Amino acid sequence: MQRDWIAPPAAGLALRLAGLRKQFGARTVLDGIAIDVDPGQFVAIVGRSGCGKSTLLRLLAGLDVPTAGELQLGGAPAAARRDDVRMMFQEARLLPWRTVLQNVQLGLADGHASARARDALAQVGLADRANDWPSVLSGGQRQRVALARALVHRPRLLLLDEPLGALDALTRIEMQRLIESVWRELRFTAVLVTHDVAEAVALADRVLLVEDGRITLDEPVALARPRAHGSAGFAQLEGRVLGRVLGETSRASGKAPSRMAA
Amino acid sequence: MRAPLPGWRAIAPWIVPLAILLAWEASSRTGWLSVRILPEPLAVATAFWHLLTSGTLVNDVAISTGRALGGLAIGGGLGLVLGLLTGTFRSAETLLDTTLQMIRNVPALALIPLVILWFGIDETAKLFLVAIGVFFPIYLNTYHGIRAVDAGLIEMARSYGLQGWALYREVILPGALPSILVGLRFSLGLMWVLLIVAETISAQSGIGYMTMNAREFLQTDVVLVGVLLYALLGKLADLVARGLERRFLRWNPAYLGTPA
Repeated sequence: MQRDWIAPPAAGLALRLAGLRKQFGARTVLDGIAIDVDPGQFVAIVGRSGCGKSTLLRLLAGLDVPTAGELQLGGAPAAARRDDVRMMFQEARLLPWRTVLQNVQLGLADGHASARARDALAQVGLADRANDWPSVLSGGQRQRVALARALVHRPRLLLLDEPLGALDALTRIEMQRLIESVWRELRFTAVLVTHDVAEAVALADRVLLVEDGRITLDEPVALARPRAHGSAGFAQLEGRVLGRVLGETSRASGKAPSRMAA
Repeated sequence: MRAPLPGWRAIAPWIVPLAILLAWEASSRTGWLSVRILPEPLAVATAFWHLLTSGTLVNDVAISTGRALGGLAIGGGLGLVLGLLTGTFRSAETLLDTTLQMIRNVPALALIPLVILWFGIDETAKLFLVAIGVFFPIYLNTYHGIRAVDAGLIEMARSYGLQGWALYREVILPGALPSILVGLRFSLGLMWVLLIVAETISAQSGIGYMTMNAREFLQTDVVLVGVLLYALLGKLADLVARGLERRFLRWNPAYLGTPA
């Protein structure tokens, strides 16, 4: 059987953010964000809740529009790349009235939609649940369906908004491994927002810390994959980033003043 | 207490109705209960049979059902369309919702004198009354159903490239459907109530006409046949509504069945 619906893997998108600012009314949520991300890189964004990290992701997804600044995906404005960008949300957001397979097919127009969706389901290990309703799946299974729904579009940029936050510890590790393996296979650019520093260090090539609407840490993760949570290098890096998140170590001079209006 | 016998659960709910029926039959036969007040159950059954075989019953039921469904189609259809409109478009809500909420507080039955003045006592009056009555449950539930669709799902669908009619068909309508069906079920109940009133006031055909006619000739058995028919049709409408919910809300954990 010729599987001609499988497109050749598209390269990841490069991200270029410069002087990016986002205001909601008088409240500045993000200010002076400048990041360059190479195609295929896995970036994790960590920070306390309310620091603006989710807003940053929503700007990348085109769900919100920046107030000022430059936001380019693969050398084009974000609006022109919407079909190359897919997002996984905190909740799976599956349509309860569609079966698992129909959910994965959402937004697929071509004649091979069903076959492609089955392939994507197989990729996340849920081929046998294709005809079930989402309501009978566990939380972890729902997020795997959401991942399949994103992958079936062959995204060149995958945005992950704390998709594993609500899962139990074991399911979380399973999902992290799954995400890492599909990322290594498909080579899309990935941006993961998480409050879990260990998760960021386990998955990312680079960890960014957002504090008060600014990026205050840009830490490369040079550990070999697959990464073992217990290794010394892992623990040291995790400790360092966590210390910064918690504000325990002294901040770089002159950086990170509080920019947020009360 | 000892465990009840297996068949007990199936039989028990019918013991009291059966006992009432027997007591009724017995008191009619002994002459203790006047036929003017209540005919014996057997007489009701015989009257039913006679009406059925003579064809008048089928005719009257068909006419009443036609009126009920006609009113439902008009009132329910309008309620659905306006509910979709005000639920979907902020401007339509601003323009129409206050007016509709004010009209909602007028009981449909209070309009009867006006309706008779406007339409006389012909078919239009009956259709109008039923339509007015069924309009609001469907309108309100459609409006709230659309408004209550999970914003997260809409955002997700938008980010997956759905917009316009596709977004409406795939996300908003299915999301509002449980609420719309609740409205339909309320409407089906109201539909018969309003039709009974309309037919009792004035009619030249239909179940209401049959019972009012029978009253004039003191045919209490026929009156009872009419009452039972209304009960039966009401129950039937409820079964249809449940069937629709079972069919269209299969995905809902409350109705969970196997996917088609």
